[in-house]
Amino acid sequence: MLNQQTHNATPTKSIAKKLSGAYGDKVAKVFMQTVALAILALLFLMVYLLFEMSLEAIKEFGFGFLTSTDWDPIMEEFSALPFFYGTLVTSILALLIAAPISVMVAIFITDILPVKLGQVLGLFVEMIAAIPSIVFGLWGLFFLAPIVREQITPLLKSTLGFLPIFQGPSFGIGVLTASIILAIMILPTITSISREVFKSVPQHQKEAALALGATREEMIRLAVLRPSFSGITGAIVLGFGRALGETMAVAMVIGNSSRISASLFAPGATMSSVIANEYAEASAGLHLSSLCYVGLLLFLVTLVVNSSARFIVWKFSPIARSARKDKRA
Amino acid sequence: MTSKKNVLEVKNLQAWFGKFHAVKGVSTDYPEKSITAIIGPSGCGKSTYLRCLNRIHEEVPGARSSGQALLLGQDIFAPEVDPVELRQNIGMVFQKPNPFPALSIFENVVVGLKLQGIKNKAKLLETAERCLRKAALWEEVKDKLHQQGTSLSGGQQQRLCIARALAVNPPVLLMDEPTSALDPIASAKIEELMQDLKEDFTVIVVTHNMQQAARVADYTSFLMLGELVEHGPSEIIFTNPKQSKTEDYITGRFG
Ligand SMILES: Nc1ncnc2c1ncn2[C@@H]1O[C@H](COP(=O)(O)OP(=O)(O)OP(=O)(O)O)[C@@H](O)[C@H]1O
Ligand SMILES: [Mg+2]
Repeated sequence: MLNQQTHNATPTKSIAKKLSGAYGDKVAKVFMQTVALAILALLFLMVYLLFEMSLEAIKEFGFGFLTSTDWDPIMEEFSALPFFYGTLVTSILALLIAAPISVMVAIFITDILPVKLGQVLGLFVEMIAAIPSIVFGLWGLFFLAPIVREQITPLLKSTLGFLPIFQGPSFGIGVLTASIILAIMILPTITSISREVFKSVPQHQKEAALALGATREEMIRLAVLRPSFSGITGAIVLGFGRALGETMAVAMVIGNSSRISASLFAPGATMSSVIANEYAEASAGLHLSSLCYVGLLLFLVTLVVNSSARFIVWKFSPIARSARKDKRA
Repeated sequence: MTSKKNVLEVKNLQAWFGKFHAVKGVSTDYPEKSITAIIGPSGCGKSTYLRCLNRIHEEVPGARSSGQALLLGQDIFAPEVDPVELRQNIGMVFQKPNPFPALSIFENVVVGLKLQGIKNKAKLLETAERCLRKAALWEEVKDKLHQQGTSLSGGQQQRLCIARALAVNPPVLLMDEPTSALDPIASAKIEELMQDLKEDFTVIVVTHNMQQAARVADYTSFLMLGELVEHGPSEIIFTNPKQSKTEDYITGRFG
Protein backbone atom coordinates (compact mmCIF):
# COMPACT_ATOMS: atom_id res chain seq x y z
CA MET A 1 0.00 0.00 0.00
CA LEU A 2 2.58 2.41 1.13
CA ASN A 3 4.68 1.45 -1.81
CA GLN A 4 1.89 2.07 -4.25
CA GLN A 5 1.20 5.46 -2.83
CA THR A 6 4.73 6.60 -3.21
CA HIS A 7 4.76 5.16 -6.68
CA ASN A 8 1.67 7.07 -7.62
CA ALA A 9 2.78 10.32 -6.15
CA THR A 10 5.65 10.84 -8.53
CA PRO A 11 3.85 10.51 -11.87
CA THR A 12 0.92 12.70 -10.83
CA LYS A 13 3.25 15.37 -9.66
CA SER A 14 5.34 15.29 -12.80
CA ILE A 15 2.25 15.37 -15.03
CA ALA A 16 0.97 18.37 -13.11
CA LYS A 17 4.33 19.98 -13.53
CA LYS A 18 4.35 19.23 -17.22
CA LEU A 19 0.91 20.77 -17.64
CA SER A 20 1.85 23.92 -15.83
CA GLY A 21 5.07 23.92 -17.81
CA ALA A 22 3.19 23.77 -21.10
CA TYR A 23 0.82 26.49 -19.95
CA GLY A 24 3.73 28.58 -18.74
CA ASP A 25 5.46 28.08 -22.05
CA LYS A 26 2.40 29.34 -23.90
CA VAL A 27 2.15 32.47 -21.77
CA ALA A 28 5.84 33.12 -22.16
CA LYS A 29 5.58 32.66 -25.91
CA VAL A 30 2.71 35.10 -26.29
CA PHE A 31 4.48 37.56 -24.05
CA MET A 32 7.70 37.32 -26.05
CA GLN A 33 5.88 37.70 -29.33
CA THR A 34 4.11 40.81 -28.07
CA VAL A 35 7.32 42.35 -26.86
CA ALA A 36 9.10 41.54 -30.10
CA LEU A 37 6.30 43.06 -32.15
CA ALA A 38 6.18 46.12 -29.91
CA ILE A 39 9.90 46.70 -30.39
CA LEU A 40 9.52 46.36 -34.14
CA ALA A 41 6.57 48.75 -34.13
CA LEU A 42 8.55 51.25 -32.07
CA LEU A 43 11.41 51.07 -34.54
CA PHE A 44 9.09 51.72 -37.48
CA LEU A 45 7.39 54.54 -35.61
CA MET A 46 10.74 56.18 -34.96
CA VAL A 47 11.82 55.93 -38.57
CA TYR A 48 8.43 57.21 -39.70
CA LEU A 49 8.50 60.20 -37.36
CA LEU A 50 12.02 61.03 -38.39
CA PHE A 51 10.94 60.78 -41.99
CA GLU A 52 7.95 63.02 -41.43
CA MET A 53 10.04 65.63 -39.69
CA SER A 54 12.58 65.52 -42.51
CA LEU A 55 9.93 65.79 -45.20
CA GLU A 56 10.32 69.54 -45.67
CA ALA A 57 14.05 69.17 -46.24
CA ILE A 58 13.60 66.12 -48.44
CA LYS A 59 11.16 68.05 -50.65
CA GLU A 60 13.45 71.04 -50.80
CA PHE A 61 16.80 69.31 -51.44
CA GLY A 62 16.08 65.73 -52.44
CA PHE A 63 19.23 63.79 -53.23
CA GLY A 64 21.12 67.04 -53.72
CA PHE A 65 21.32 66.95 -49.94
CA LEU A 66 24.19 64.54 -50.35
CA THR A 67 26.08 66.29 -53.12
CA SER A 68 26.13 70.01 -52.44
CA THR A 69 28.60 71.20 -49.82
CA ASP A 70 26.87 74.20 -48.28
CA TRP A 71 25.42 74.19 -44.81
CA ASP A 72 24.40 77.74 -44.11
CA PRO A 73 21.50 78.26 -41.70
CA ILE A 74 21.37 82.00 -42.45
CA MET A 75 21.05 81.52 -46.19
CA GLU A 76 18.87 78.45 -45.57
CA GLU A 77 21.20 76.31 -47.66
CA PHE A 78 21.53 72.82 -46.26
CA SER A 79 23.53 69.76 -47.22
CA ALA A 80 24.62 66.66 -45.32
CA LEU A 81 27.82 66.11 -47.26
CA PRO A 82 30.25 67.87 -44.87
CA PHE A 83 28.86 65.85 -41.96
CA PHE A 84 28.77 62.63 -43.89
CA TYR A 85 32.39 63.27 -44.77
CA GLY A 86 33.27 64.17 -41.17
CA THR A 87 31.60 61.05 -39.83
CA LEU A 88 33.37 58.86 -42.32
CA VAL A 89 36.80 60.40 -41.78
CA THR A 90 36.67 60.41 -37.97
CA SER A 91 35.30 56.88 -37.84
CA ILE A 92 37.81 55.45 -40.29
CA LEU A 93 40.70 57.22 -38.58
CA ALA A 94 39.46 55.98 -35.21
CA LEU A 95 39.37 52.45 -36.61
CA LEU A 96 42.88 52.75 -38.02
CA ILE A 97 44.10 53.72 -34.57
CA ALA A 98 41.92 51.42 -32.47
CA ALA A 99 41.77 48.21 -34.48
CA PRO A 100 45.45 47.18 -34.30
CA ILE A 101 45.71 48.22 -30.66
CA SER A 102 42.51 46.38 -29.70
CA VAL A 103 43.49 43.19 -31.46
CA MET A 104 46.90 43.29 -29.83
CA VAL A 105 45.44 43.95 -26.40
CA ALA A 106 43.03 41.05 -26.90
CA ILE A 107 45.85 38.70 -27.90
CA PHE A 108 47.84 39.85 -24.89
CA ILE A 109 44.94 39.07 -22.61
CA THR A 110 44.14 35.64 -24.02
CA ASP A 111 47.50 34.24 -25.09
CA ILE A 112 50.48 36.14 -23.78
CA LEU A 113 49.94 37.51 -20.28
CA PRO A 114 49.62 35.18 -17.29
CA VAL A 115 45.91 34.38 -16.80
CA LYS A 116 45.41 36.57 -13.71
CA LEU A 117 47.18 39.58 -15.18
CA GLY A 118 45.20 39.18 -18.39
CA GLN A 119 41.95 39.23 -16.46
CA VAL A 120 42.97 42.43 -14.70
CA LEU A 121 43.89 44.11 -17.98
CA GLY A 122 40.59 42.90 -19.45
CA LEU A 123 38.72 44.45 -16.56
CA PHE A 124 40.42 47.80 -17.08
CA VAL A 125 39.55 47.76 -20.77
CA GLU A 126 35.91 46.97 -19.99
CA MET A 127 35.88 49.87 -17.56
CA ILE A 128 36.67 52.27 -20.40
CA ALA A 129 33.33 51.29 -21.87
CA ALA A 130 31.58 52.43 -18.69
CA ILE A 131 32.96 55.99 -18.80
CA PRO A 132 30.21 58.43 -19.83
CA SER A 133 30.65 60.10 -23.18
CA ILE A 134 30.58 63.58 -21.68
CA VAL A 135 33.55 62.73 -19.46
CA PHE A 136 35.49 61.73 -22.55
CA GLY A 137 34.51 65.06 -24.05
CA LEU A 138 35.79 67.03 -21.08
CA TRP A 139 38.97 65.00 -20.98
CA GLY A 140 39.46 65.57 -24.69
CA LEU A 141 38.87 69.28 -24.39
CA PHE A 142 41.18 69.97 -21.46
CA PHE A 143 43.77 67.23 -21.69
CA LEU A 144 43.97 65.74 -25.16
CA ALA A 145 43.47 68.89 -27.23
CA PRO A 146 46.56 70.66 -25.84
CA ILE A 147 48.63 67.52 -26.38
CA VAL A 148 47.43 67.27 -29.97
CA ARG A 149 48.22 70.94 -30.55
CA GLU A 150 51.62 71.04 -28.90
CA GLN A 151 53.05 67.57 -29.35
CA ILE A 152 51.26 65.37 -31.85
CA THR A 153 50.80 68.03 -34.53
CA PRO A 154 54.46 69.14 -34.64
CA LEU A 155 55.54 65.50 -34.70
CA LEU A 156 53.24 64.63 -37.59
CA LYS A 157 54.19 67.76 -39.49
CA SER A 158 57.89 67.06 -39.19
CA THR A 159 57.59 63.44 -40.26
CA LEU A 160 54.60 63.20 -42.60
CA GLY A 161 54.08 66.89 -43.31
CA PHE A 162 54.32 66.38 -47.07
CA LEU A 163 50.83 64.82 -46.99
CA PRO A 164 47.98 67.32 -47.36
CA ILE A 165 46.14 65.70 -44.45
CA PHE A 166 48.93 66.78 -42.10
CA GLN A 167 49.16 70.39 -43.21
CA GLY A 168 47.66 73.62 -41.95
CA PRO A 169 47.31 75.13 -38.50
CA SER A 170 46.17 73.13 -35.47
CA PHE A 171 43.97 74.55 -32.73
CA GLY A 172 43.93 71.37 -30.72
CA ILE A 173 40.28 70.76 -31.31
CA GLY A 174 39.52 69.23 -34.68
CA VAL A 175 39.10 66.04 -36.67
CA LEU A 176 42.27 64.38 -35.36
CA THR A 177 41.42 64.96 -31.71
CA ALA A 178 37.90 63.68 -32.24
CA SER A 179 39.26 60.58 -33.95
CA ILE A 180 41.64 59.82 -31.09
CA ILE A 181 38.82 60.14 -28.57
CA LEU A 182 36.65 57.91 -30.73
CA ALA A 183 39.46 55.38 -30.98
CA ILE A 184 39.68 55.14 -27.21
CA MET A 185 35.91 54.81 -26.96
CA ILE A 186 35.64 51.92 -29.42
CA LEU A 187 38.68 50.13 -28.05
CA PRO A 188 36.67 48.12 -25.48
CA THR A 189 34.14 47.01 -28.11
CA ILE A 190 36.73 45.63 -30.51
CA THR A 191 38.88 44.22 -27.71
CA SER A 192 36.16 42.28 -25.96
CA ILE A 193 34.73 40.76 -29.14
CA SER A 194 38.22 39.83 -30.37
CA ARG A 195 38.87 38.27 -26.98
CA GLU A 196 35.85 36.03 -27.35
CA VAL A 197 36.99 35.05 -30.82
CA PHE A 198 40.51 34.20 -29.61
CA LYS A 199 39.21 32.34 -26.58
CA SER A 200 37.22 30.04 -28.84
CA VAL A 201 40.43 28.74 -30.46
CA PRO A 202 40.88 25.23 -29.05
CA GLN A 203 44.01 24.42 -27.05
CA HIS A 204 44.81 21.48 -29.35
CA GLN A 205 45.22 23.86 -32.30
CA LYS A 206 47.84 25.81 -30.41
CA GLU A 207 49.58 22.59 -29.40
CA ALA A 208 49.62 21.48 -33.03
CA ALA A 209 51.52 24.62 -33.98
CA LEU A 210 53.95 24.43 -31.07
CA ALA A 211 54.66 20.75 -31.69
CA LEU A 212 55.78 21.63 -35.22
CA GLY A 213 58.42 23.91 -33.82
CA ALA A 214 56.53 27.20 -34.00
CA THR A 215 57.68 30.01 -31.75
CA ARG A 216 55.09 31.63 -29.53
CA GLU A 217 54.63 34.41 -32.07
CA GLU A 218 54.32 31.99 -34.99
CA MET A 219 51.86 29.91 -33.00
CA ILE A 220 49.69 32.96 -32.39
CA ARG A 221 49.75 33.89 -36.05
CA LEU A 222 49.11 30.36 -37.32
CA ALA A 223 46.71 28.90 -34.78
CA VAL A 224 45.00 31.95 -33.30
CA LEU A 225 44.97 34.92 -35.67
CA ARG A 226 44.48 33.09 -38.96
CA PRO A 227 41.33 31.19 -38.09
CA SER A 228 40.01 34.31 -36.32
CA PHE A 229 40.23 36.57 -39.35
CA SER A 230 36.51 36.82 -40.00
CA GLY A 231 35.71 37.17 -36.31
CA ILE A 232 38.13 40.08 -36.02
CA THR A 233 36.58 41.65 -39.12
CA GLY A 234 33.18 41.48 -37.45
CA ALA A 235 34.59 43.03 -34.27
CA ILE A 236 36.09 45.89 -36.28
CA VAL A 237 32.88 46.56 -38.17
CA LEU A 238 30.96 46.64 -34.88
CA GLY A 239 33.50 49.13 -33.56
CA PHE A 240 32.94 51.15 -36.74
CA GLY A 241 29.22 51.14 -36.02
CA ARG A 242 29.85 52.48 -32.55
CA ALA A 243 32.14 55.20 -33.88
CA LEU A 244 29.56 56.35 -36.43
CA GLY A 245 26.91 57.06 -33.86
CA GLU A 246 29.02 58.45 -31.03
CA THR A 247 27.89 62.01 -30.35
CA MET A 248 28.68 63.90 -27.19
CA ALA A 249 32.43 63.55 -26.91
CA VAL A 250 32.88 64.22 -30.62
CA ALA A 251 30.61 67.25 -30.54
CA MET A 252 32.79 68.72 -27.78
CA VAL A 253 36.16 68.33 -29.44
CA ILE A 254 35.66 68.39 -33.20
CA GLY A 255 35.33 72.15 -33.51
CA ASN A 256 31.99 72.27 -35.33
CA SER A 257 32.78 73.54 -38.75
CA SER A 258 30.67 72.63 -41.73
CA ARG A 259 33.56 73.21 -44.10
CA ILE A 260 35.16 70.14 -45.68
CA SER A 261 38.91 70.40 -45.20
CA ALA A 262 41.63 68.04 -46.30
CA SER A 263 43.64 68.66 -43.14
CA LEU A 264 43.04 66.43 -40.14
CA PHE A 265 44.08 69.33 -37.90
CA ALA A 266 41.18 71.45 -39.11
CA PRO A 267 37.87 71.57 -37.27
CA GLY A 268 34.98 69.61 -38.74
CA ALA A 269 31.63 68.14 -37.79
CA THR A 270 29.96 64.76 -37.92
CA MET A 271 26.35 63.85 -38.59
CA SER A 272 25.66 63.36 -34.93
CA SER A 273 27.69 66.31 -33.68
CA VAL A 274 25.89 68.78 -35.93
CA ILE A 275 22.54 67.63 -34.61
CA ALA A 276 23.70 67.91 -31.01
CA ASN A 277 25.19 71.34 -31.55
CA GLU A 278 22.50 72.98 -33.64
CA TYR A 279 19.13 71.54 -32.79
CA ALA A 280 18.61 73.89 -29.82
CA GLU A 281 19.00 76.98 -31.97
CA ALA A 282 17.27 75.55 -35.02
CA SER A 283 14.08 77.56 -34.91
CA ALA A 284 13.31 77.79 -38.56
CA GLY A 285 11.43 74.84 -40.04
CA LEU A 286 13.85 74.08 -42.80
CA HIS A 287 16.88 74.09 -40.50
CA LEU A 288 15.24 71.70 -38.05
CA SER A 289 13.92 69.56 -40.84
CA SER A 290 17.38 69.35 -42.40
CA LEU A 291 18.85 68.23 -39.06
CA CYS A 292 16.21 65.50 -38.96
CA TYR A 293 17.15 64.54 -42.49
CA VAL A 294 20.77 64.21 -41.34
CA GLY A 295 19.53 62.08 -38.44
CA LEU A 296 17.57 59.86 -40.80
CA LEU A 297 20.63 59.31 -42.95
CA LEU A 298 22.74 58.56 -39.89
CA PHE A 299 20.16 56.04 -38.75
CA LEU A 300 20.25 54.28 -42.10
CA VAL A 301 24.05 54.18 -42.21
CA THR A 302 24.41 52.78 -38.69
CA LEU A 303 21.64 50.27 -39.34
CA VAL A 304 23.44 48.92 -42.39
CA VAL A 305 26.87 48.85 -40.71
CA ASN A 306 25.65 47.24 -37.50
CA SER A 307 23.60 44.59 -39.19
CA SER A 308 26.42 43.65 -41.51
CA ALA A 309 28.74 43.36 -38.51
CA ARG A 310 26.24 41.11 -36.71
CA PHE A 311 25.95 39.09 -39.89
CA ILE A 312 29.72 38.66 -40.18
CA VAL A 313 30.12 37.72 -36.52
CA TRP A 314 27.19 35.32 -36.74
CA LYS A 315 28.19 33.78 -40.02
CA PHE A 316 31.71 33.01 -38.93
CA SER A 317 31.14 32.23 -35.27
CA PRO A 318 32.29 28.70 -34.42
CA ILE A 319 28.77 27.72 -33.32
CA ALA A 320 27.18 28.81 -36.56
CA ARG A 321 29.96 27.15 -38.50
CA SER A 322 29.55 23.82 -36.79
CA ALA A 323 25.76 24.05 -37.15
CA ARG A 324 26.18 24.50 -40.88
CA LYS A 325 28.58 21.59 -40.98
CA ASP A 326 26.03 19.38 -39.19
CA LYS A 327 23.43 20.35 -41.71
CA ARG A 328 25.68 19.38 -44.58
CA ALA A 329 26.63 16.07 -43.00
CA MET B 1 70.66 -4.94 -30.09
CA THR B 2 72.74 -4.00 -27.11
CA SER B 3 75.35 -2.33 -29.30
CA LYS B 4 72.84 0.33 -30.37
CA LYS B 5 73.33 3.65 -28.70
CA ASN B 6 70.46 5.39 -26.96
CA VAL B 7 68.90 8.36 -28.66
CA LEU B 8 66.72 9.21 -25.72
CA GLU B 9 67.20 8.34 -22.06
CA VAL B 10 64.35 9.21 -19.76
CA LYS B 11 65.16 9.29 -16.06
CA ASN B 12 62.58 9.51 -13.31
CA LEU B 13 60.05 11.53 -15.28
CA GLN B 14 57.14 12.90 -13.27
CA ALA B 15 54.16 14.94 -14.42
CA TRP B 16 51.37 16.77 -12.68
CA PHE B 17 48.12 18.50 -13.60
CA GLY B 18 47.82 20.94 -10.73
CA LYS B 19 47.91 18.65 -7.68
CA PHE B 20 47.10 15.51 -9.66
CA HIS B 21 50.16 13.30 -10.08
CA ALA B 22 49.68 11.76 -13.55
CA VAL B 23 53.11 10.28 -14.30
CA LYS B 24 55.06 8.94 -11.34
CA GLY B 25 58.73 8.45 -12.06
CA VAL B 26 59.14 6.72 -15.39
CA SER B 27 62.65 5.78 -16.58
CA THR B 28 63.26 4.22 -20.00
CA ASP B 29 65.98 4.16 -22.65
CA TYR B 30 65.12 4.46 -26.33
CA PRO B 31 67.80 3.03 -28.67
CA GLU B 32 68.32 4.55 -32.11
CA LYS B 33 66.48 2.96 -35.03
CA SER B 34 63.90 1.33 -32.83
CA ILE B 35 60.18 1.36 -32.19
CA THR B 36 58.90 1.36 -28.63
CA ALA B 37 55.22 0.83 -27.87
CA ILE B 38 53.55 2.19 -24.75
CA ILE B 39 50.51 0.25 -23.60
CA GLY B 40 48.29 0.52 -20.56
CA PRO B 41 44.72 1.10 -19.45
CA SER B 42 42.91 4.27 -20.47
CA GLY B 43 43.77 7.20 -18.26
CA CYS B 44 47.03 5.68 -16.98
CA GLY B 45 49.13 8.59 -18.24
CA LYS B 46 50.44 7.39 -21.61
CA SER B 47 49.56 10.58 -23.45
CA THR B 48 50.79 12.74 -20.59
CA TYR B 49 54.12 10.92 -20.56
CA LEU B 50 54.51 11.26 -24.32
CA ARG B 51 53.57 14.94 -24.16
CA CYS B 52 56.35 15.56 -21.65
CA LEU B 53 58.91 14.35 -24.16
CA ASN B 54 58.34 17.25 -26.57
CA ARG B 55 57.56 19.64 -23.73
CA ILE B 56 53.98 20.21 -24.86
CA HIS B 57 52.74 19.08 -21.46
CA GLU B 58 54.05 22.27 -19.86
CA GLU B 59 51.86 24.36 -22.21
CA VAL B 60 48.74 23.13 -20.42
CA PRO B 61 47.75 25.71 -17.78
CA GLY B 62 48.67 24.46 -14.33
CA ALA B 63 50.68 21.49 -15.59
CA ARG B 64 54.31 20.79 -14.71
CA SER B 65 56.87 18.04 -14.85
CA SER B 66 60.21 17.02 -13.35
CA GLY B 67 62.99 14.57 -14.07
CA GLN B 68 65.34 14.23 -17.00
CA ALA B 69 65.15 13.22 -20.63
CA LEU B 70 68.50 13.09 -22.37
CA LEU B 71 68.28 13.56 -26.11
CA LEU B 72 71.72 12.49 -27.39
CA GLY B 73 73.06 13.26 -23.95
CA GLN B 74 71.48 16.69 -23.59
CA ASP B 75 68.69 17.09 -21.00
CA ILE B 76 65.68 18.52 -22.85
CA PHE B 77 64.42 20.19 -19.67
CA ALA B 78 67.66 22.10 -19.09
CA PRO B 79 67.12 25.86 -18.97
CA GLU B 80 69.39 26.49 -21.94
CA VAL B 81 67.33 24.23 -24.21
CA ASP B 82 64.94 26.07 -26.51
CA PRO B 83 61.69 24.10 -26.71
CA VAL B 84 61.12 25.45 -30.23
CA GLU B 85 64.30 23.84 -31.48
CA LEU B 86 63.62 20.70 -29.48
CA ARG B 87 60.22 20.25 -31.14
CA GLN B 88 61.79 20.40 -34.58
CA ASN B 89 63.73 17.28 -33.54
CA ILE B 90 60.99 15.49 -31.65
CA GLY B 91 57.85 15.38 -33.76
CA MET B 92 54.41 14.43 -32.52
CA VAL B 93 51.19 12.97 -33.82
CA PHE B 94 48.48 13.81 -31.31
CA GLN B 95 45.82 11.45 -30.03
CA LYS B 96 43.10 13.71 -31.35
CA PRO B 97 43.59 14.78 -34.99
CA ASN B 98 44.22 18.53 -35.02
CA PRO B 99 44.70 19.86 -38.56
CA PHE B 100 44.61 23.64 -38.89
CA PRO B 101 41.10 24.66 -39.98
CA ALA B 102 42.29 27.80 -41.75
CA LEU B 103 44.77 25.89 -43.92
CA SER B 104 44.26 23.67 -46.95
CA ILE B 105 45.30 20.02 -47.02
CA PHE B 106 48.50 20.95 -48.83
CA GLU B 107 49.30 23.83 -46.48
CA ASN B 108 48.68 21.60 -43.49
CA VAL B 109 51.29 19.12 -44.64
CA VAL B 110 54.00 21.67 -45.37
CA VAL B 111 53.31 24.13 -42.55
CA GLY B 112 56.24 22.82 -40.51
CA LEU B 113 58.62 23.41 -43.42
CA LYS B 114 57.25 26.89 -43.93
CA LEU B 115 57.88 27.61 -40.26
CA GLN B 116 61.49 26.65 -40.89
CA GLY B 117 61.60 29.26 -43.67
CA ILE B 118 61.44 26.93 -46.67
CA LYS B 119 59.56 28.67 -49.49
CA ASN B 120 60.63 26.75 -52.59
CA LYS B 121 57.32 25.75 -54.13
CA ALA B 122 58.67 22.71 -55.95
CA LYS B 123 60.26 21.37 -52.80
CA LEU B 124 57.07 21.94 -50.82
CA LEU B 125 54.98 20.15 -53.44
CA GLU B 126 57.41 17.27 -53.61
CA THR B 127 57.46 16.92 -49.81
CA ALA B 128 53.68 17.11 -49.59
CA GLU B 129 53.24 14.31 -52.09
CA ARG B 130 55.92 12.12 -50.53
CA CYS B 131 54.56 12.51 -47.00
CA LEU B 132 50.94 12.06 -48.04
CA ARG B 133 51.92 8.86 -49.86
CA LYS B 134 53.76 7.58 -46.79
CA ALA B 135 50.73 8.36 -44.65
CA ALA B 136 48.55 6.42 -47.12
CA LEU B 137 46.43 9.46 -47.90
CA TRP B 138 47.71 10.65 -51.27
CA GLU B 139 45.28 8.75 -53.46
CA GLU B 140 42.31 10.10 -51.52
CA VAL B 141 43.32 13.76 -51.52
CA LYS B 142 45.50 14.33 -54.59
CA ASP B 143 42.59 15.96 -56.45
CA LYS B 144 41.57 18.24 -53.63
CA LEU B 145 44.79 19.47 -52.10
CA HIS B 146 43.38 22.96 -51.81
CA GLN B 147 40.34 22.04 -49.79
CA GLN B 148 40.26 22.79 -46.08
CA GLY B 149 42.15 20.28 -43.95
CA THR B 150 39.15 19.96 -41.66
CA SER B 151 36.90 18.94 -44.55
CA LEU B 152 38.39 15.44 -44.33
CA SER B 153 36.95 12.53 -42.36
CA GLY B 154 38.30 11.71 -38.90
CA GLY B 155 40.57 8.92 -40.14
CA GLN B 156 41.77 11.05 -43.05
CA GLN B 157 42.55 13.89 -40.64
CA GLN B 158 44.55 11.47 -38.54
CA ARG B 159 46.65 10.51 -41.56
CA LEU B 160 46.95 14.17 -42.56
CA CYS B 161 48.45 14.88 -39.15
CA ILE B 162 50.87 11.99 -39.59
CA ALA B 163 51.95 13.45 -42.95
CA ARG B 164 52.33 16.86 -41.32
CA ALA B 165 54.63 15.44 -38.65
CA LEU B 166 56.67 13.51 -41.24
CA ALA B 167 57.28 16.59 -43.37
CA VAL B 168 59.74 18.11 -40.90
CA ASN B 169 61.68 14.85 -40.78
CA PRO B 170 62.22 14.65 -37.02
CA PRO B 171 64.79 12.10 -35.77
CA VAL B 172 62.42 11.15 -32.95
CA LEU B 173 58.70 10.75 -33.62
CA LEU B 174 56.08 10.46 -30.89
CA MET B 175 52.81 8.91 -32.07
CA ASP B 176 49.79 8.88 -29.78
CA GLU B 177 47.38 6.20 -30.99
CA PRO B 178 48.06 7.02 -34.65
CA THR B 179 45.72 4.32 -35.99
CA SER B 180 42.83 4.62 -33.54
CA ALA B 181 40.44 5.91 -36.22
CA LEU B 182 41.75 3.84 -39.13
CA ASP B 183 40.44 0.78 -40.94
CA PRO B 184 42.69 -2.32 -41.02
CA ILE B 185 44.14 -1.52 -44.43
CA ALA B 186 45.12 2.03 -43.56
CA SER B 187 46.40 0.81 -40.17
CA ALA B 188 48.62 -1.72 -41.91
CA LYS B 189 50.01 1.04 -44.11
CA ILE B 190 50.84 3.17 -41.06
CA GLU B 191 52.54 0.19 -39.43
CA GLU B 192 54.55 -0.22 -42.62
CA LEU B 193 55.43 3.46 -42.39
CA MET B 194 56.71 2.99 -38.86
CA GLN B 195 58.92 0.15 -40.02
CA ASP B 196 60.29 2.44 -42.74
CA LEU B 197 60.92 5.23 -40.27
CA LYS B 198 62.84 2.83 -38.08
CA GLU B 199 65.52 2.58 -40.75
CA ASP B 200 66.76 5.98 -39.65
CA PHE B 201 64.71 7.22 -36.76
CA THR B 202 63.35 6.43 -33.34
CA VAL B 203 59.62 5.99 -32.88
CA ILE B 204 57.64 5.90 -29.66
CA VAL B 205 54.03 4.90 -30.19
CA VAL B 206 51.10 4.71 -27.78
CA THR B 207 48.59 2.06 -28.72
CA HIS B 208 45.64 0.15 -27.32
CA ASN B 209 46.11 -2.53 -29.95
CA MET B 210 48.22 -5.34 -28.44
CA GLN B 211 48.66 -7.09 -31.79
CA GLN B 212 49.94 -3.89 -33.26
CA ALA B 213 52.43 -3.42 -30.43
CA ALA B 214 53.60 -7.02 -30.73
CA ARG B 215 53.87 -6.69 -34.53
CA VAL B 216 55.77 -3.45 -34.91
CA ALA B 217 57.49 -2.60 -31.63
CA ASP B 218 60.96 -3.75 -30.70
CA TYR B 219 60.30 -2.75 -27.11
CA THR B 220 57.13 -2.33 -25.10
CA SER B 221 56.43 -0.36 -21.92
CA PHE B 222 53.44 -1.18 -19.77
CA LEU B 223 52.11 1.76 -17.78
CA MET B 224 49.53 1.64 -15.02
CA LEU B 225 48.26 4.47 -12.82
CA GLY B 226 51.14 6.66 -13.90
CA GLU B 227 53.81 4.09 -13.08
CA LEU B 228 55.98 2.05 -15.39
CA VAL B 229 55.16 -1.51 -14.46
CA GLU B 230 57.40 -3.24 -16.95
CA HIS B 231 59.59 -2.42 -19.92
CA GLY B 232 61.45 -4.81 -22.19
CA PRO B 233 61.71 -6.40 -25.63
CA SER B 234 58.22 -6.91 -27.04
CA GLU B 235 58.59 -10.65 -27.49
CA ILE B 236 59.24 -10.99 -23.76
CA ILE B 237 56.47 -8.59 -22.65
CA PHE B 238 53.91 -10.36 -24.80
CA THR B 239 54.98 -13.95 -24.23
CA ASN B 240 56.66 -14.10 -20.89
CA PRO B 241 56.19 -10.96 -18.78
CA LYS B 242 57.84 -10.81 -15.41
CA GLN B 243 55.08 -8.90 -13.67
CA SER B 244 51.72 -10.52 -13.05
CA LYS B 245 50.01 -7.16 -13.63
CA THR B 246 51.42 -7.07 -17.15
CA GLU B 247 50.26 -10.59 -17.82
CA ASP B 248 46.77 -9.81 -16.52
CA TYR B 249 46.57 -6.77 -18.78
CA ILE B 250 47.79 -8.34 -21.99
CA THR B 251 45.68 -11.43 -21.54
CA GLY B 252 42.65 -9.19 -21.01
CA ARG B 253 42.00 -10.23 -17.45
CA PHE B 254 42.35 -6.65 -16.41
CA GLY B 255 41.89 -3.13 -17.74
N1 LIG C 1 44.31 18.66 -19.06
C1 LIG C 1 44.20 17.85 -17.99
N2 LIG C 1 43.89 18.37 -16.78
C2 LIG C 1 43.78 17.57 -15.70
N3 LIG C 1 43.94 16.25 -15.72
C3 LIG C 1 44.24 15.67 -16.89
C4 LIG C 1 44.38 16.44 -18.09
N4 LIG C 1 44.67 15.60 -19.10
C5 LIG C 1 44.70 14.37 -18.56
N5 LIG C 1 44.45 14.41 -17.23
C6 LIG C 1 44.43 13.25 -16.33
O1 LIG C 1 45.69 12.63 -16.34
C7 LIG C 1 45.55 11.24 -16.36
C8 LIG C 1 46.32 10.67 -17.52
O2 LIG C 1 45.73 11.09 -18.73
P1 LIG C 1 46.28 10.65 -20.14
O3 LIG C 1 45.58 11.45 -21.16
O4 LIG C 1 47.76 10.73 -20.10
O5 LIG C 1 45.82 9.13 -20.21
P2 LIG C 1 46.06 8.06 -21.36
O6 LIG C 1 46.83 6.96 -20.76
O7 LIG C 1 46.62 8.70 -22.56
O8 LIG C 1 44.58 7.56 -21.64
P3 LIG C 1 43.89 7.15 -23.02
O9 LIG C 1 44.35 5.78 -23.32
O10 LIG C 1 42.45 7.16 -22.71
O11 LIG C 1 44.29 8.13 -24.04
C9 LIG C 1 44.07 10.93 -16.41
O12 LIG C 1 43.64 10.52 -15.13
C10 LIG C 1 43.43 12.21 -16.80
O13 LIG C 1 42.21 12.36 -16.13
MG1 LIG D 1 45.95 9.12 -24.42
